[in-house]
Amino acid sequence: MHASFEMLITGGLPLDMLGLFGLALVAVAAIRLSSRHRSWGGNTMAIGATMLFLARLWMILSPRVMTMDLEHALGPVFISLTIGLPPLFLSFGVAAVVLGFWSHERWLREVHN
Amino acid sequence: MTNFPPSLTILASMDGVRPVFMIVMGLFLLVVAWRVAEKASRWTARILIAGALLLGLGYSVILPLYEAGVLHSPRPDDSPDTVAWLLGWKAVKQVALNFGWMLFGFGICLHARVFSSLFHPNKVPQPYPPRECTPRLKC
Repeated sequence: MHASFEMLITGGLPLDMLGLFGLALVAVAAIRLSSRHRSWGGNTMAIGATMLFLARLWMILSPRVMTMDLEHALGPVFISLTIGLPPLFLSFGVAAVVLGFWSHERWLREVHN
Repeated sequence: MTNFPPSLTILASMDGVRPVFMIVMGLFLLVVAWRVAEKASRWTARILIAGALLLGLGYSVILPLYEAGVLHSPRPDDSPDTVAWLLGWKAVKQVALNFGWMLFGFGICLHARVFSSLFHPNKVPQPYPPRECTPRLKC
């Protein structure tokens, strides 16, 4: 297997960090939009990007962080939350980002047409 | 997995809805990005559209394939050809989603002029003109 391809498959951490950085950029830009234009689309986008960021961060961190001791310390409720919340956050985060982006676009058209 | 027509309980379940949701979200993001890019400046539009295209590929093609079970992580009993195929798709997924979010975020930052204070530190960013009465916007 080619070395770069192998790095892409097994050690995708730099690539994941790039995606996380992009999500953080989306959140920053959305907060900027909402503060400058007072549009609710910016707020929705910021919430969605933050949810996506948290879920992705947890999915990247959990194989490295979750140990047996930590699971015992967390207890069953928090373990269920760590299993159940990330897919929920991923779905609702994408929906919120897209909905907010759409409403911002509608807002731009109403102001600039 | 060949139960056709699928029963109503499968269609109404979370697993049945998720691929459709992903496809709709990817295409909708692409359309909205296109509409925003129409009014944006040149490089903002290019970066935004590139990011939205990658995200559209990831969310409306690759992730539904994973949800449908066509693509999955390699199993021990897969043949080498299948493993190579699956690893290739995994690489495509990683690149499409991560670079997609990166480019899309950068494009939105350019659109929102987040970096303008870095490039023109003395220039106060101009707000958009105040709302005016238009046929669509009653005031």
